[in-house]
Amino acid sequence: MNDLHGIIFAYRSHRNLAELTRHRNTCSVPFAGRHRLIDFMLSNMVNAGVTDIGLIVHENYQSLLDHVGSGKDWDLSRKHGGLRILPPFSTAERKQGEYRGTMEALIGVSSYLKKIRQEYVVMAWGDMALNLSIEDVFRQHLASGSDITVVCSHTHWGVPQECQYVHTDASGRVCDMSVRPTTEPDAPECLDMFIISKQILLELVEDCAAHDQYSFSLGALLPRINTLNIRPYFYSGYVGRVQSVKDYFQRSADLLRPEVRQDLFDPASPVRAKDRSDPSTYYGPSSRAVSSLIADGCVIEGEVRESILFPGVVVEKGAIVSNCVLMQGTVVGRDSELSHVITDKGVHIGQHRTLHGHANYPVAITKNAEV
Amino acid sequence: MKKECVAMLLAGGQGSRLYALTSHVAKPAVPFGGKFRIIDFPLSNCVNSGIDTVGVLTQYRPLELNSYIGSGQPWDLDRSDGGVHILPPYMREGDQGTWYKGTANAIYQNIGFLDMYDPEYVVILSGDHIYKMDYSKMVEHHKQVDAACTISVLEVTMEEATRFGIMNVDENDIVYEFEEKPPQPKSNLASMGIYVFTWSKLREYLIADEADPNSSNDFGKNIIPNMLCAGEKLAAYRFHGYWKDVGTIDSLWDANMDMLAPRTSIDLYDPSWPIYARTPIKPPHFIGPNGVVSHSLVTGGSEVYGTVENSILFHSVTVEEGAQVRYSILMPGVTVRAGAKIEYAIIAENAVVEQNACVGTPPDPSNPDWGVAVVAGGVTVGEQAVVSAHAMVRENVKGGEQV
Repeated sequence: MNDLHGIIFAYRSHRNLAELTRHRNTCSVPFAGRHRLIDFMLSNMVNAGVTDIGLIVHENYQSLLDHVGSGKDWDLSRKHGGLRILPPFSTAERKQGEYRGTMEALIGVSSYLKKIRQEYVVMAWGDMALNLSIEDVFRQHLASGSDITVVCSHTHWGVPQECQYVHTDASGRVCDMSVRPTTEPDAPECLDMFIISKQILLELVEDCAAHDQYSFSLGALLPRINTLNIRPYFYSGYVGRVQSVKDYFQRSADLLRPEVRQDLFDPASPVRAKDRSDPSTYYGPSSRAVSSLIADGCVIEGEVRESILFPGVVVEKGAIVSNCVLMQGTVVGRDSELSHVITDKGVHIGQHRTLHGHANYPVAITKNAEV
Repeated sequence: MKKECVAMLLAGGQGSRLYALTSHVAKPAVPFGGKFRIIDFPLSNCVNSGIDTVGVLTQYRPLELNSYIGSGQPWDLDRSDGGVHILPPYMREGDQGTWYKGTANAIYQNIGFLDMYDPEYVVILSGDHIYKMDYSKMVEHHKQVDAACTISVLEVTMEEATRFGIMNVDENDIVYEFEEKPPQPKSNLASMGIYVFTWSKLREYLIADEADPNSSNDFGKNIIPNMLCAGEKLAAYRFHGYWKDVGTIDSLWDANMDMLAPRTSIDLYDPSWPIYARTPIKPPHFIGPNGVVSHSLVTGGSEVYGTVENSILFHSVTVEEGAQVRYSILMPGVTVRAGAKIEYAIIAENAVVEQNACVGTPPDPSNPDWGVAVVAGGVTVGEQAVVSAHAMVRENVKGGEQV
């Protein structure tokens, strides 16, 4: 796939993720035991043979930089092309703050866009967990002769206030879009992922910059809905949208279902991650683990039920962990009891502690906290 | 560019006493301890000791070992100056050149490589030992006593001493005699097969040894005795800690089981001395609703729905509902189908044990032939088949059959 360039939007922090995005943006939220959300989109692109990817960041991207590094774990550390991190330019004209929309982000990196050596561009957010074949999307894009292909799903995965929906006419062309409606429309959900030619993209960016349009859908697509040939690509697999702590908790629980894991972790299109040298996980003689997803490098002496453990988690003797997500390096002390709790990296739960959340309101404990 | 110290890792051995496990790979590439291969231990020791230039001498079935080492990136040995080098035997002008005839000959054939880096010291390592060791301390000792060669030694029991090369030393731990597997050992200092040489000295002895047609070109048999004879200063360097030769099925099984008791063996979780490995990208492992795992190691990509006790599961292993795995080692990609029972066995990569098949048995004092059962890589053990203790299965076993 030599003529496709990747652009990943990696700048937003969902306010409702509260503690989980205090030290990072949504793209680098740890997910599925050993991953960050960004791993999924990066891997989708790399698995489709995309060799050049621009990562648009804005604020709070230290943890993201630390994770992707030079891009070598995705084979993106290259002499020619590879991964480019695109932070904002500081200009006096505009006040600093998160980009107001993806078009503003694209305008911000327009000099990079001009230098893209591929004919087509795939653009997507880096904070969704899905494993889709961009090669398929691209093939359909070329075969259909459309100007823009937008990836959609018949299943709804997000809350309407955070999503866009596409309406198609009889010929299958997109004729309208609902952007962040208040109620859920009866239309396919847009996964905010587009394939577009570099040429059309540059024209749109140029025009939107001139008219201070910051939203890709509202500023670029909707005004041209009758002149541009926009067609949907329907993706039928699992989509993990993570927009709030509750979402995060439920998407994590989804992973305990074999069919979701088969979908997300298809061995034919592996999700790559930062390489860590963790040994295997050790289970002690009196340990008990049931229906749980457990990363390498953990030491489990207590009981773990329906939970997700990241690398290096320690569950001491007598401790009971159920319906929890314990991130890297969490220690659960002897005889403590946790249920419906999300612990961020390095949280230390002392001995004989009891913490209970609820499926509708999981307790999230901030990074490196001592309980 | 000149390096103070270069390590040479002897990884060409077939490891014939591992039988079916090394029919497709060289011994150093045999999987170990859930996440690793044997060679990860000396390679990681090198990096952790600050040695950034390592020659890996390969000869027997090098394909998998070569691709495993690759650029050396997992060990941070992908350097622009130095790094890891695979060194196979090669032909020279006039149809000259041979396979590596012995450990010393392997180094002799690579004098050119060593001269390229012109090191003061050369560390000679072998690719079949499990241990953590700071080679820089050994080199420091070598410098301090101004030896021509320093040999790392382990204190063993007098009984065990009859199976090792034994160093007899004076009060300053200077070697005055070397005995290979002595029936009546005079000391209990066993050579671990780890040497530090002053390169200029070793170079002389390698050239002289090569000129001797009666030599078997081996460090233990020729170079060390020759240096002793010539009155060179040979120092013993005492090593304290876990060290295991994994050259046999029994010792490989033992050493794997030792990893379940980190306090008495190696702490693989110690961040100050990590053992690095090249590992495939796998999601976390999953323990099913009826899965039972105790006193075991489990690795990414595995799915456990049955019972696993006192065992080591590498990545991508499947243990189906009702299957039982005890005191066994399941290498990457092994599948154990429902109702199958595996006890005291080593199952190599991608082998399949079908429903209700039995592999291995618990130790039986009344059976003098008892031992660990081994199923080779890619083999299928059919439904209801029985693989008895100490069996070595290299080919598919049909359903219901007993071997």
